[in-house]
Amino acid sequence: MEQNEKIQYRSPLRRGELDPNRWRNTQIGMWAWLWQRISALAIIIFLGIHLTLPYRPLIQFLLLLTVTFHVVLGLRVILMDFGIVHTKYQKALVGGLAALGIVMFIIVWMGIY
Amino acid sequence: MSEKTRKSKRVVKVFRYDPAVGGDGHFDRFDLDIEDESITTILDVLLRIQREHDSSLGFRYSCRISMCGSCGVVVNGNEALACQTVVANLKEGEITIRPLNHFPVIRDLVVDMDPFFKNFDKALSFFEPAEKLKEPAIISPDSKERRLIADYTECITCGCCVSSCTMANWHEDYLGPGALNRAFTLLLDSRDGLHDERLARVLSGCYNCRTELNCTEVCPKEISPTRSLKYIQMLAAKNAFKKVDVVDIEDKATEIATEVPVEAITPEVSRRRFLSRITLGLGGIIAVLIGGLMAATSLVPAMRKRAEKWVKVGKVDAFPVGIVKTVPISYRVKDGIYESTVTKPVFVYRESDSDGITVFNSRCTHLACVLHWDDNKKLFLCDCHGGQFYPDGRVKAGPPPRAMDRYPTKVENGNILVREA
Repeated sequence: MEQNEKIQYRSPLRRGELDPNRWRNTQIGMWAWLWQRISALAIIIFLGIHLTLPYRPLIQFLLLLTVTFHVVLGLRVILMDFGIVHTKYQKALVGGLAALGIVMFIIVWMGIY
Repeated sequence: MSEKTRKSKRVVKVFRYDPAVGGDGHFDRFDLDIEDESITTILDVLLRIQREHDSSLGFRYSCRISMCGSCGVVVNGNEALACQTVVANLKEGEITIRPLNHFPVIRDLVVDMDPFFKNFDKALSFFEPAEKLKEPAIISPDSKERRLIADYTECITCGCCVSSCTMANWHEDYLGPGALNRAFTLLLDSRDGLHDERLARVLSGCYNCRTELNCTEVCPKEISPTRSLKYIQMLAAKNAFKKVDVVDIEDKATEIATEVPVEAITPEVSRRRFLSRITLGLGGIIAVLIGGLMAATSLVPAMRKRAEKWVKVGKVDAFPVGIVKTVPISYRVKDGIYESTVTKPVFVYRESDSDGITVFNSRCTHLACVLHWDDNKKLFLCDCHGGQFYPDGRVKAGPPPRAMDRYPTKVENGNILVREA
């Protein structure tokens, strides 16, 4: 212990600090988390516009798109939260649910227009 | 891995930090000729650098067969055991080797693992039997607990998970994936004598996970700490209404109690409990107030016996025999604290001279659109879905399921009155 006090430690490296491979190595899970939060904000904005200017196809399109996106990423977390899908399938879960989301998006959009 | 020998030249950049010099540290560049990449690990690379290039390079290793967990480093941005990472499996080009994140750097690639093991302490990472058995406990391999725990006991505490976790850096209370995985294996163990205490401690530090699964991706033992953590959160939901207090564990295990920083945790948790009770209490009061108000306004008017309300439609004389007339009626309605005037049309049909006055509700019996009287066709018509009614109210055509509704009527002093509610 006495010896340790004399040694000057370097403060902990943060994730990505001095790391030339920072972005290439960002795993899909982090993007999934980040983009879900961003899509949540986008939903608030588009929902606000949608309520003030109803029945505008462009706004409906954007709102449905962000909601689908948010739902896909949310379902991913829910499925893992309750142990319904094992976490080792997390990457497949993102892809699979995204594909499902696109299909549902097209069905709903075709249903409206 | 390819069968043929992969001979190559690699540039290896290694993080250097000298405690005697201090500062931020830097990368040193080494050029290496590698005889066969498929049988060369990062640990081999480090050993060669130390022997052939710079003997002052500091790094940890011990077993060389991914058992001891001491050679965790960050290779090309991904946490890994140096001894388990084969150079041939890395991308062509430069190799970057850094110490683990979130731990103070002692020298070069050597980090101080103290924060990591302090969290293990907080999670009571040791086994304390509930009963002192003479014989080994029998846990069937296909029992639920054994299957859930699986090989999650294989953790070698290398710290790669905490290094890869983006949240461990930002939340001091967060115990991190490693400690929580250990707690998970013990919480599920039916022999565990410290279940409640452990749960209480773990629950105070398990909610900062954002499900990024970085720990799952990097774990050299292919454990998914995220799964462990999610299970602990489910336990929290199951025990939501159970009183779980952090008790002094000295009562249960005197011999190990000294190592556990009980004092450090107790006030934190009791404050947390206090705040959660306040929150629950306030939430409850608000819920009861709003719920009560809503229930009162919605149920009371329905239960209250209202006085019969007779609304004047018009003088009897104003309605010639055999003609349907549309007249508006209006009256005051009190709904809770809200009072308003309702105005709506009714159809009056006088069949004969003496009485026989019928007052129809103007709502279609299909979906309650307002009907109108067509004097040419002598029909009541609905514009919404094409419902048609005869003057006596029977359905002629369209979707309406029954004849038009009639108001109870009476005649007083030459006035026609209808009962509304």
